Amino acid sequence: MAKVEIKVNGVKQSRNVEDRTLLANFLRDELGLTGTHIGCDTSQCGCCTVHVNGRAVKSCSVLAVQVNGADVLTIEGLAKGSKLHPVQQAFSECHGLQCGFCTPGMIMATVGMLKDTPNPSEEEIIHGLEGNLCRCTGYINIVKAVKQSAKMLRGKKPAKAAKKAAPKKKAKAAKKAKKSKKAKKAAKK
Amino acid sequence: MSTSAHSHHDPKMRVEDVRLITGGGKYAADWNFPGQLHAQFVRSDRAHAVIVAVNTEAARKHPGVKGVFTGADAVRAGYTKPPHSLTFAGVNGMKARAPERPVLAHGKVRFVGEALALVVAESAAAAADAAELIEIEYRDLPAVVSPEGALADGAPQLHEDVVPGNLALETEAGDAAAVEAAFANAAHITRLKLEVTRVAPNPMEPRACLVNHDPADDSYLFHVCSQGITTLRKQLSAYTSVSEDRIRFELGDVGGGFGQRTPAYPEYCALMIAAKETGRPVRWVSTRSEGFLSDTHGRGNIIEGALALDRDARFLAMRLEWVNDMGAYLSPASPGHIRNTTICMTGVYRIPALYAHYRVALTNTTPVSSYRGAGRPDIAYVVERLVSQAAAELDVDAAELRRRNFIPPEAFPYKTPTGSTYEYADLPGVLDKALRLADWKGFPKRRARAEKRGKLRGLGISTVIENSGAGQAAKDEVELELDAHGTVVAYTVSKAQGHSHETTLAMIVADALGLPLDRVEVRQCAPGKQQLQGNHTGGSRTTVGAGSVCHLAALKLIEHGRSLAALDLGVEPSQVEYAKGVFRSRESGRSVRLGDLAKNGAVSVVGEGKFGSTFPNGCHIVEVEIDPETGTTEIASYATVDDCGKVINHTVVEGQLHGGIAQGAGQVFGEQIVYDPGTGQLLTGSFMDYCMPRAGMLREISTEEHPTPSKVSPLGVKGMGESGCTASLPALANAVVDALRPLGVGHLDMPMTPAKLWHAVRTARKGGN
Repeated sequence: MAKVEIKVNGVKQSRNVEDRTLLANFLRDELGLTGTHIGCDTSQCGCCTVHVNGRAVKSCSVLAVQVNGADVLTIEGLAKGSKLHPVQQAFSECHGLQCGFCTPGMIMATVGMLKDTPNPSEEEIIHGLEGNLCRCTGYINIVKAVKQSAKMLRGKKPAKAAKKAAPKKKAKAAKKAKKSKKAKKAAKK
Repeated sequence: MSTSAHSHHDPKMRVEDVRLITGGGKYAADWNFPGQLHAQFVRSDRAHAVIVAVNTEAARKHPGVKGVFTGADAVRAGYTKPPHSLTFAGVNGMKARAPERPVLAHGKVRFVGEALALVVAESAAAAADAAELIEIEYRDLPAVVSPEGALADGAPQLHEDVVPGNLALETEAGDAAAVEAAFANAAHITRLKLEVTRVAPNPMEPRACLVNHDPADDSYLFHVCSQGITTLRKQLSAYTSVSEDRIRFELGDVGGGFGQRTPAYPEYCALMIAAKETGRPVRWVSTRSEGFLSDTHGRGNIIEGALALDRDARFLAMRLEWVNDMGAYLSPASPGHIRNTTICMTGVYRIPALYAHYRVALTNTTPVSSYRGAGRPDIAYVVERLVSQAAAELDVDAAELRRRNFIPPEAFPYKTPTGSTYEYADLPGVLDKALRLADWKGFPKRRARAEKRGKLRGLGISTVIENSGAGQAAKDEVELELDAHGTVVAYTVSKAQGHSHETTLAMIVADALGLPLDRVEVRQCAPGKQQLQGNHTGGSRTTVGAGSVCHLAALKLIEHGRSLAALDLGVEPSQVEYAKGVFRSRESGRSVRLGDLAKNGAVSVVGEGKFGSTFPNGCHIVEVEIDPETGTTEIASYATVDDCGKVINHTVVEGQLHGGIAQGAGQVFGEQIVYDPGTGQLLTGSFMDYCMPRAGMLREISTEEHPTPSKVSPLGVKGMGESGCTASLPALANAVVDALRPLGVGHLDMPMTPAKLWHAVRTARKGGN
């Protein structure tokens, strides 16, 4: 048994758990946060995606003890009271869910993806969702929902999103833009 | 499409969405009872073996263990005869040979993953640890995993005397003599042998089941993933002899079903034994690995087909020879493999003579049951591949050959040679729309452009029809309960697994009553309302059945309310008008609100109806591009025109279509359950080995509706949950075959993986050199 102290959705939680307890099971069984789903046992489906210290993580692939002291956000903590997170809203409005089982993981993965890549191309979205399986929707409406989420997030707080969301990427993007300008110039020559 | 009836409801979000996007859904594994025990099954790691001994001593002594159960307990309980539904007569009156299957294997194991012991303990970890301590001594027997192999002489016998030759049923449909005569006079015969591969339905929610036994009345309460309680209850009762009134349910959300969540699994019955014996609630949550091994698989058919045509390329006759792989035991929902393939055997075509012969084989594999379409995609796949191949062989345009052989609109209702009656379809109308939507004529240019890019572009088409809507229940019932606030609750015994019933059925009721959508609530399989009759959700039947009854029940509520209002208003019912939640006396102008009728207690009506099959139909046209260097296929365009009758909620219908098409594409390009032929071990037992469709496989689907209302339902709807899957299998496969045909590649079976296509291209090119 091991003692863990994890901040989950802003609340400090302390429990004694078996060493082998996965974060997914800790959230579901110890805290009753059953919005985090377990859809496989090979870390392929992504149903259990949560955020650990702001990064999207498959909670079936880490032990509870590994995230001792960390800050965990689950689907239950995403909306602010009755105000839905834009990604939640977009998934519903685009009919990006049917049975809803993969949805919490999809939403948490999307929130994570858009932090790194606030304005993703279709290819980037598809790449970003590679670790999340859905059996109902055929993904078309999920991709649509991610696009709409990105738009909503950018439209809502563009300055903050850009600042907070990985300045490194921004620098990279700027470099890329410079490069492509150079390339264009070269092509003209 | 009739938008008039439902245009005033345009819910931006589904009713069920709010809880599902906030983590508030309650799936089967989310239920917990105080004092519950945790279950772990021990499963066979052999495909075929005699169980010599099961030593449970160490497991029983393990800390926290409260019970260990084996096949002997299953036999003692009498839980040995699973229900099955191959109840129709076969060739020469042959009855299906249904082997026994104790809910925990006894005597023999017959597939890898078959449960043979159950451990229940205070924690899931203790149960898992104890299960490892169970020692099983086997005597291995030779195994057979291919259905053709199982039917061959000298094959290992799964059930010895009970199922000689592993042949569970031999049956037929149509007229063999008429077909033979037609073939004798044919100008051309197209022949094809196809495998409709065995696949795993894989709803994202793994199976879970929590059973509570109440000794007071010897009843059982289930929290389980289910497609509706009526069928499950009936099957559980048949398996265990526990009467139906002692089997109850409390269900939450269901994370996908696709047919796989319909049957009463042996595990559920074993949990009943454990719950009764220990006096504690018993909870079992399957892992995905267990699911691959023990959840029923889908499809698994091998078909030899022949289509006879005359000089004008008109169809004369079709003959199909089926081998149906049922796995090691008959599952409760297996008849679709035969019945659904005969009902629509003629497809959308006038084929004067039809004959099909079926051999249902048992193999050392996981039992096979319904999977989205249950036989409908299988028959469409064979017919549509035969037709496209015939078109290629005769050098006739594939769309033109279809048009030439369509059942013409004036021939409906059309009685098919296999005895079913198609209600109506405007096939030329559907085809014309689809050809325009897909720009059929522009394909040669697109193919030429692709060729310049080094890609092989192919064009595929399918025009399909399928039976949907009818069910086994004597009738469908829906109860509407009105309260004093004027809120109406609709109780159904069907159960959505992503189908949006809470939205669509509420729209139907709200529409009939002229109420805003938020005044109607749909409760599925609610405790206390489980005596209602009706079909479970499957076979694309809920909107046709329960949906139509929602409409009828609402009309009944208005009529009942009219007489109650008349009493209040002191007039004759005929003088009372109803609109938008208000009853008004024509003469006095006085009115009574709907909710007022329930001020002294809820007002309730039960609507009922029995509905036959509806026949949704459609045309899917696909273009694919194959990279000959890598064998990868890109779906370049996908166009569909579907007639699924009147549409209640366009977004939901389109979503169903998307999902069905993606499942078809998954099967065509990657999914397949594979067993090692020697050992019978499952080689595709996880998402790492089993190729599930992922984002990006299908970028866009252009859809148009071509609705013709069905008279079967008062709403004019047709079932549509499976049509996407049915049409996409042949359309996609035909496109791939078309792309490679110029190279001389003749035959391709699913899954059309990059490796398979790369080899096909390479072999063809070598042959060409």
